[in-house]
Amino acid sequence: MRHPNDGTLRRLLDEPAGVADADRKHVAGCPVCLSELAAAQEDAAVAGAALGTDFAVDVDVDAGWRRLSSAVDDADRREATAVPVRRRRLGLRSPVVAAIGAVALLTGAGAAAAADWLQIFRAERIAPVTAPRAELAKIPDLSAFGSLEVSERPDLRKVADAGAAEQATGLSVPRVGRLPRGVTGEPAYHVVGQVSATFTLSAEKVARTAAAAGETVPPPPKGLDGSRFRFVAGPGIAAVWSQGRPLPALIVARATAPAVYASGVPFETARDYLLSLRVVPADVASQLRGFSGAGLTLPLFTSAQGSARSADLGGVPATVLASRDGTMAGVVWVKDGVVTAVAGSLSADEVLAVARGLRGDR
Amino acid sequence: MGLSPPRREVVRADLEQVFRTAYPRVVAVAARVLGSRDEAEDVAQEVFLAFGRSTVPAGEAPAWLSVAAAHTALNHIRSGRRRASREGNADGGDAVCPDVADAVVTRDERRLVRAALARLPRRQAVALVLRHSGLSYTEVAAALDISPGSVGTTVRRAESALRKELNRHASSE
Repeated sequence: MRHPNDGTLRRLLDEPAGVADADRKHVAGCPVCLSELAAAQEDAAVAGAALGTDFAVDVDVDAGWRRLSSAVDDADRREATAVPVRRRRLGLRSPVVAAIGAVALLTGAGAAAAADWLQIFRAERIAPVTAPRAELAKIPDLSAFGSLEVSERPDLRKVADAGAAEQATGLSVPRVGRLPRGVTGEPAYHVVGQVSATFTLSAEKVARTAAAAGETVPPPPKGLDGSRFRFVAGPGIAAVWSQGRPLPALIVARATAPAVYASGVPFETARDYLLSLRVVPADVASQLRGFSGAGLTLPLFTSAQGSARSADLGGVPATVLASRDGTMAGVVWVKDGVVTAVAGSLSADEVLAVARGLRGDR
Repeated sequence: MGLSPPRREVVRADLEQVFRTAYPRVVAVAARVLGSRDEAEDVAQEVFLAFGRSTVPAGEAPAWLSVAAAHTALNHIRSGRRRASREGNADGGDAVCPDVADAVVTRDERRLVRAALARLPRRQAVALVLRHSGLSYTEVAAALDISPGSVGTTVRRAESALRKELNRHASSE
């Protein structure tokens, strides 16, 4: 019989019951494996000693809780005074929710036509930025770097049918060719108008955020303080087959892709400066930097605990997201300035089949 | 820009309950990395603050918190700032160390272990720390989203690499 691999030998040291009987029997009578096992045991002992703590971790839970409560209160107080608008309410419950959340974010916003606004970004593709949840949760939001004012808020409303949705948004409603098994009936149609928000960068807030993270701040590029960025997205449409479940069985959504307009320094200058402060986890920052250049890629933040992969939809690159337990999946892509997403309590193959069968391209 | 990650606005209702159950383990995981209870408690506070504003399902909280503790502690090593401040404190705080020479030796060993951990591939380092914090293979697999079969391989490689790193430094110093 073949020798069990090094991982199996290692597990034999910790959890022999987790190793197959045949492997255990083999190792007991195999000098090669016994020698490997001894080496593994030595390395494990060294690691155990190195990682050992010379104090008993008998922590004071009550003291810890009092400290946390007070930190939470402090953070709430700071936010109450410093944040002019509430944050977007997006959940990281699963990558799919993040995808739907991102699409929801994209909906809304007015045409930024003022002469002093230069369009610097219009999403032409979407790429996932994956990191462990703990890393994502550590990224400061925009309020840590300046102030955000929402000038046009999302006004999601239900409309009677696909025709009304098209009329309200000017977008063509994607029609599903064939519904996946288990999804039946007619969808409910929702529309949302344009959404826009203006972010004003504050060098002082940036310095405070960096200092709180223990980082020193390099001098900001000329003109950065007070420079403004305007985010515009939408309008959007969603067709939802909910079938009485808490999570919809199927959602097909479409929205005008988001755009960013800058007044003051170029967007890339601001982005590179903020990334250089090291307040964003390094692996996330390097993924974001990878999008540099044309600035046409919309980062979609997803937890590394789900899965994200790319797919081809008749020549258009798409991102497929699936929750770890396989109960939800979504696919999202950008074509001709329009973002479309298909998601639901389905498998990745099922959402891809729906996406490939959509009719009524813009 | 404009795409900071999803965060909740209010602190989750189950924070205290989860904190009281999971705090000792989160401190223990961070302590394996940092070798200092004070620093580990700082990390635990950071981790629970992030958790309090997250929408992580309660059932996934233990795994999430363990991974977050390991990552945050490893980040602390990398930044080096905590270490400098703590070591500064230790120098002035001999009252807690009856034998100053022992304290210096221990501190140097800690420094070597932390430096070695920082050089391991992140996944290996996290798997190693979680395993040595008492998580089962199934729990480590769930926390890192890898198969239970590959936990042994990852831990084995991490231990072998850690030992090599420690030997390299021991012989070069």
